[in-house]
Amino acid sequence: MAQPLVKKDDDRDDEADYSPFLGIEKGAVLQEARVFNDPQLDPRRCSQVITKLLYLLNQGETFTKVEATEVFFAVTKLFQSKDIGLRRMVYVMIKELSPSADEVIIVTSSLMKDMTSKTDMYRANAIRVLCRITDGTLLTQIERYLKQAIVDKNPVVASAALVSGIHLLQTNPEIVKRWSNEVQEAVQSRAALVQFHALALLHQIRQNDRLAVNKLVSSLTKGSVRSPLAQCLLIRYTSQVIRESANTQAGDRPFYDFLEGCLRHKAEMVIFEAARAITELNGVTSRELTPAITVLQLFLSSSKPVLRFAAVRTLNKVAMTHPMAVTNCNIDMESLISDQNRSIATLAITTLLKTGNESSVDRLMKQITNFMSDIADEFKIVVVEAIRSLCLKFPLKHRSLMNFLSNILREEGGFEYKKAIVDSIVILIRDIPEAKETGLLHLCEFIEDCEFTYLSTQILHFLGIEGPKTSDPNKYIRYIYNRVHLENATVRAAAVSTLAKFGAMVDTLKPRIFVLLRRCLFDNDDEVRDRATLYLNTLGGDGTVVQTSDDVKEFLFGSLDIPLVNLENSLKNYEPSEESFDINSVPREVKTKPLAEKKAPGKKPTGLGAPPAGPPSTVDAYEKLLSSIPEFANFGKLFKSSAPAELTEAETEYAVNVVKHIFDGHVVFQYNCTNTIPEQLLENVTVIVDASEAEEFAEVASKPLRSLPYDSPGQTFVAFEKPEGIPAVGKFSNMLRFIVKEVDPSTGEAEDDGVEDEYQLEELEVVAADYMLKVGVSNFRNAWESMGADCERVDEYGLGPRESLAEAVNAVIDLLGMQPCEGTEVVPNNSRSHTCLLSGVYIGNIKVLVRLQFGLDGPKDVAMKLAVRSEDEAVSDAIHEIVASG
Amino acid sequence: MLLAILVSNSAGNILLERFNGIPSEERLHWRTFMVKLGADNLKGARNEELFVASQKSVYIVYTVLGGVCIYIVGKDDYDELALTEVMFVITSSIKDACGKSPSERLFLDKYGKICLCLDEIVWQGILENTEKERIKRLIGLKPPNPTES
Repeated sequence: MAQPLVKKDDDRDDEADYSPFLGIEKGAVLQEARVFNDPQLDPRRCSQVITKLLYLLNQGETFTKVEATEVFFAVTKLFQSKDIGLRRMVYVMIKELSPSADEVIIVTSSLMKDMTSKTDMYRANAIRVLCRITDGTLLTQIERYLKQAIVDKNPVVASAALVSGIHLLQTNPEIVKRWSNEVQEAVQSRAALVQFHALALLHQIRQNDRLAVNKLVSSLTKGSVRSPLAQCLLIRYTSQVIRESANTQAGDRPFYDFLEGCLRHKAEMVIFEAARAITELNGVTSRELTPAITVLQLFLSSSKPVLRFAAVRTLNKVAMTHPMAVTNCNIDMESLISDQNRSIATLAITTLLKTGNESSVDRLMKQITNFMSDIADEFKIVVVEAIRSLCLKFPLKHRSLMNFLSNILREEGGFEYKKAIVDSIVILIRDIPEAKETGLLHLCEFIEDCEFTYLSTQILHFLGIEGPKTSDPNKYIRYIYNRVHLENATVRAAAVSTLAKFGAMVDTLKPRIFVLLRRCLFDNDDEVRDRATLYLNTLGGDGTVVQTSDDVKEFLFGSLDIPLVNLENSLKNYEPSEESFDINSVPREVKTKPLAEKKAPGKKPTGLGAPPAGPPSTVDAYEKLLSSIPEFANFGKLFKSSAPAELTEAETEYAVNVVKHIFDGHVVFQYNCTNTIPEQLLENVTVIVDASEAEEFAEVASKPLRSLPYDSPGQTFVAFEKPEGIPAVGKFSNMLRFIVKEVDPSTGEAEDDGVEDEYQLEELEVVAADYMLKVGVSNFRNAWESMGADCERVDEYGLGPRESLAEAVNAVIDLLGMQPCEGTEVVPNNSRSHTCLLSGVYIGNIKVLVRLQFGLDGPKDVAMKLAVRSEDEAVSDAIHEIVASG
Repeated sequence: MLLAILVSNSAGNILLERFNGIPSEERLHWRTFMVKLGADNLKGARNEELFVASQKSVYIVYTVLGGVCIYIVGKDDYDELALTEVMFVITSSIKDACGKSPSERLFLDKYGKICLCLDEIVWQGILENTEKERIKRLIGLKPPNPTES
């Protein structure tokens, strides 16, 4: 007989060193689990063994398949025991082991028996276990009991069934959706938790039905909700309804009174939820904000750290859009700077930085300096970013803020922190001309003693761009040349390039730079020597004061306006032959995420952990895919592939989306199809396209999909010819046609005979934006000026009444399909005018730049001035035509 | 979703961990992150004093209870206030199971019972029960008191 695991004598719990699980070992516990097979079960001993197994599992220990199966079979024997404590342990153990589908059958009958038992608690637990281990087929068998359980008078049984429903909705939505009447009834339950779970499930069932959610919210906001948790859910759903109703009329917002009423609820959780919902309302007015800010202000001085944290976090968000509304809380927040919880202190500081005015900056900086020394790097980064924004807001304060940044740059810190500071200084130098020279000197001093190669090379590169343009470029040379002596090869090579830039840009410095570069010819690293040789041979003048030609500058230092990933892929695909590699053949489009990646399972981000790997090249993948299909092989080079557009609604039988591939003289539609019905196999899947509303297009080829089994996506293609080089547009209606065969779910085999069927899809359009590639430029002003005004076209347009300026800006961006530059797609709240800069490449490889100036004309009317520059005036005209006809 | 519940002793050794929706390869990061969070902040903390932090889109509420440290991680609906509620249920149920704030030893002695409590409180990342009296009855397979609903 083993020693009893649980010691009755609590006095002994002071002996903290001794653990009842000391020396526990998986193998030994698995041996012990054989007691489950004893004909005379000892419930107490069995419970102890289960506890040990749970301890192992909860420590992150894993069982092999064989071990898990063995334990599982043994545990199922314990259903023979009538001991209640043991039975409860058995339920937990089965859930923890989550047996595989072929093993489940062993316990199904025992659990079914418990599920129909007269003992409520057996019912509740059996439901939870069954739902955890069940699959679709078993679920249909027990569905009747689950529906009954949802409206069971015992709240524990009802809750168990409802929470099961929430989980099962992920795997078997079509079954759970049939329960909505019962769930609806449970929402009216008098038991608080039942109501909470029922509300959550009902909302999930109906979340795609806007009208139903609206009705649910309307009825519940009038009635009584019993628990604070349910009330919080209701507030969230209410704000969703408000958001979707997009009320633009003046006057009271629907449900605002409800939210405001919740601010007086007795539970803090509800008050906070309501306050947050109000602050997040679209276009919230200061009158609406005031009561919410008032309660949040009270929370700031709460004794509970969680409430202080929640309040300051919300105010921090509000400060981004309505800084004035938060200023009343500044005094409370200043006292939070010394809060023991560093998360709260950091949030308070960054909020104050957003709401402070110019005169309070110096005082605030003093407080922050004391604070910085005792917080971790991750908080410091947040503060640095806030200081950067503050400096951009009050450029006159650049001196003290830049000094602060340079001081913290000299202190100890990790790479991310240092990078954040360097990035901030670089941004300030770019945006505040007066800050340039001091900023560059701060960076020069930093690289004297910088332990991070990456940062040193970045700064050297930046010095090469900005340094030659300063009034006295001479003074930076010493710092740069020192790197050539004191650093590793990577930094030395970067320093050589920077020196060469100074030589190329500042003619008077050239002779002296040549002397320095010649010394680098004897470096022991070949990259450093190669660079020095290259520059010495190309800069020209052999060390005399002459100008370096523009071609050479462009060759040496010009920007390579091709995404490097694309270049890498094209080089990998290039096969050595007589024909030399053509850099113009490299696709220029910035990658978007492919569909397959988006739908990948386990997509929930979890905050920590390694960052996801960069998306693989879609353009490249599409290009490969299309060139592998003989029918499309002679269409030439793929110009652009659109993002997938859905042609079916969410959660329909067949999910289809389309990708438009644009070639010079052809368009190929790639239909990505997914069959979501396990009992069906689709064969010979095609899309019948009616192009009667697309006159310039003629169908030339169609590639059917041979077979489309359940849940494994496939593609079918249809190709059209169009006039070469012309941005033809049109509307296409689509019908999915296929042969459907029944599949036996138990064997997975399809019947031999099938029936032809059709399924209507939504229309798709080829629009002008499909002929435009989103290609950004790093410096719009430079690009605009170097493009010149030769092919410029300017005109003004009235866009009529619009919901907001931001909506108008987005509509034009979408219409043109161009890449917004320098963050100009974001329209600040309440602004009456806005300038947006766009760039792109039009079909035929023509670069296009667009400058849009918007203004509000009257209360809602938006007027727009459109200036287009491109390499071809016909293209400039075409852009105007797109806008005029859009 | 309640992403994780962790219980460690004061030296940072894990006594109990339950993850929901976190891939096994990421669990080590979480373990290390939370133990570090505790080591940085929990020294000298009052019993049951709540601490809060956020990391990207997740929230973490943690505390000391007797000789053990408890960490809960949540996201979306489970923000800092909801987690506080969950923490309250967990600490009161553990105290109930142990008869007082547990030492590490007492916690391990009552391990089985505590596992049952957690099973009643959280089910695969969703909060299920919130009252300790009810939980106490449920882990003994007794129906809740008819007076409470």
